Amino acid sequence: MAYEFTKEDLREIEKIKAKYPEVMPATLPTLWVAQRRFGHVEPEVQRLVAETLGLPEAHVHGVANFYTQYYKEKKGKHVLDVCTCLSCQLCGGYEILHHLEETLGIKAGDTTEDGTFTLNQVECLGACGYAPMLQVTNDKYVNHLTKEKADELVDKLKNGEEPDYEQMKMPQHKNI
Amino acid sequence: MPEIFIDGHRYEFEGDHKVLQFIQDLGKEVPFFCYHPSMTAPANCRQCMVKAGQYMKDRETGEYEVDENGERVIRWFPKLQTSCNLMAADGMVILTQETDELVQRAQKDNLELILINHPLDCPICDQAGECPLQIQTYKYGPEGSRFEVKKVHKPKRIQLGPRVVLDAERCINCTRCTRFTQEISKTDQLTITSRGDKNYPTTAPGREFDDPYSLNTVDICPVGALTSADFRFKARVWEMNQTPSIDITNGKGTNIDLWTRDNLILRVTPRFNAEVNDHWMPDAGREAYKIFNENRISRPQQKLDGEQILSSWNNAIATLSEEIAATDNSKIVVIASPHASVEENYALSKYTNLLGLNQPVFTPHIEEGTGDDFLLSDDVAPNANGCRLLGFTELDKASIKKEIKKAELVVILHDNLIDREVIAADDLKEKFVVVFATNNSDTSKAADLVIPITTAAEHAASYVNVDGRIQRTYRAKETKYTERRLDLEMSEGRLDRYGTNFDNWVTEDNKIDCLPVWKFINRISEHSGLECNFNDGREIMDEIASTLDSFTGVSYAAMDEQAGIQLSIKKETSTSK
Ligand code: SF4
Ligand code: SF4
Ligand code: FES
Ligand code: FES
Repeated sequence: MAYEFTKEDLREIEKIKAKYPEVMPATLPTLWVAQRRFGHVEPEVQRLVAETLGLPEAHVHGVANFYTQYYKEKKGKHVLDVCTCLSCQLCGGYEILHHLEETLGIKAGDTTEDGTFTLNQVECLGACGYAPMLQVTNDKYVNHLTKEKADELVDKLKNGEEPDYEQMKMPQHKNI
Repeated sequence: MPEIFIDGHRYEFEGDHKVLQFIQDLGKEVPFFCYHPSMTAPANCRQCMVKAGQYMKDRETGEYEVDENGERVIRWFPKLQTSCNLMAADGMVILTQETDELVQRAQKDNLELILINHPLDCPICDQAGECPLQIQTYKYGPEGSRFEVKKVHKPKRIQLGPRVVLDAERCINCTRCTRFTQEISKTDQLTITSRGDKNYPTTAPGREFDDPYSLNTVDICPVGALTSADFRFKARVWEMNQTPSIDITNGKGTNIDLWTRDNLILRVTPRFNAEVNDHWMPDAGREAYKIFNENRISRPQQKLDGEQILSSWNNAIATLSEEIAATDNSKIVVIASPHASVEENYALSKYTNLLGLNQPVFTPHIEEGTGDDFLLSDDVAPNANGCRLLGFTELDKASIKKEIKKAELVVILHDNLIDREVIAADDLKEKFVVVFATNNSDTSKAADLVIPITTAAEHAASYVNVDGRIQRTYRAKETKYTERRLDLEMSEGRLDRYGTNFDNWVTEDNKIDCLPVWKFINRISEHSGLECNFNDGREIMDEIASTLDSFTGVSYAAMDEQAGIQLSIKKETSTSK
């Protein structure tokens, strides 16, 4: 399938380009435009981005492959990145991961057949204080996970609702 | 003048200098991988660490500050610095691994880190023997590794393009190859994919690394990650010897090295010449090694009843003398060659002069579209300007054809006129045709007499490039009549010196029965009682320089010293694009 940007996308890309003295720095935001439009930046999308910006394909490929946040292959509608790095692991990150594997009927790294969910196991997302946690599709963090909280999240997403934004506070110690 | 203090020695400098380059130019060393003098310095390998500081100066008086012991006060930079991108500054103090333990430690630890995931491939790795990683590790590296876990595996044997193969495990991600495609060849074909311990260079998906200069990345890769698809596994570096030469497949005159083992040229690599090709060469010129080895003409050949048979030198000389004597001078055409060196052309013209024949004529070899704005010109012969400076008449294709039509005896010096479609085989019918040639070709096949001559790898001779620079080759390969051990100018590899016939790669098989043009001219002149006595190219060049104004001041010694000499050529004769 040939990918194409819509007129709106192109207008947005022009705006992005106008922000920088050179075209090269526009690579990252333009890849985002592409990922929002197509849900991923597969090689063909990378090529489209390169052509649109007039940059070498190899450069766009290198940039897209450097950041895990760009999806280099098709993913589910919602991507659940479950942290199993040290803090989360100690607080039960693997249990959450395995629970989600069971509920969704897939293994980490896979996508459900209906294309709704992709489940990933990831390294520290910098929210160790609220471990265990996961991130939804490069966006909201869901913290202090329990199996119930994970189920709730899956149901919400299935019903087309947005996960809540959770305001987190660092624990306050009086004796400092 | 600004001054810099390196390992306790004071040096003066002018202009902008990177500290690493400055140290190298002094003939000293700091280990490094990613830096390359012709490209930007991203300082990503971290191997070139030095300790750097600055002598404190009083702002008002401009005098150095001294402490109570009278020593100058140094303000050290807070951390070790990468010398490759550190600019030399007035009053800078540098300590290298020679004098500072911290620097030694940093370099050692960095090598340990680089080697964590490096395969220990040296015994089967093409780079071994000329591998900066191997060398630096021997010199500055740790005794062993403290890393006991399984190494990260990456793709091996990836055919990045038609000529380059990648072993990602050996890559140390110095980005020299990607920078080459971005900054030098400007095809932007390579990038680094992924990150951390998983990264390696690659093309965009579905694209080939078919850059016409791709093999330069193999030369500059500081490890065995990029290898030449053609050369890999053919020979170990220490079995070969290396001889400076000139690329004869193009008019640009790229400086190259020929790598020889057992009198076969096995690979061609670029040789630095700031005036001509910097550190680079086009992939096209690398194929030339085949010209020296394959399809060579060995022993003179003569046509008998329409078929070429092997002859002898004496026969060849007698036949040619007889033909010349039997033919009216005006019916003899001698065709000089932009593919032959200045010395060969000169020797031939000297002979024709003595015989009282017309001056030789020649036609340049232009292939439209070959040229680029870099190291290739449309003129694909190495010495058209040499022929011009020797004063030969330059003819276009049609006029050469006409000259040949008129003649009964045609002498062609090393120029495949039929193969490059200047003339057709039919144009030579009913004539006696003598061809001086290195390799079999349609042109040599059409000849009644074929004189096998030396290639640029077998003689020392000069070529004038499209820009008028005269540069010379050295003997890299023995013929039946030369001996490496007696020829002080020939390089000797370990096998050349110590090899016996019981060694692999030591045979007599690859020596061609051929002569330099001038040696043949010596013999044929003697046969017909003429005076021609050239020992070697060096002598011929001295004679040319003393008789022809356009070559004044040219000698082998001067060419060697200055990496070639710029001659003045008429601008319009230059076909450099
Ligand atoms: S790249 Fe160098 S150090 Fe690595 S395996 Fe090859 S020769 Fe050995
Ligand atoms: S392949 Fe060689 S030149 Fe390219 S980044 Fe790796 S080590 Fe450097
Ligand atoms: S370990 Fe999970 S967020 Fe840091
Ligand atoms: S050479 Fe200086 S960091 Fe690589």
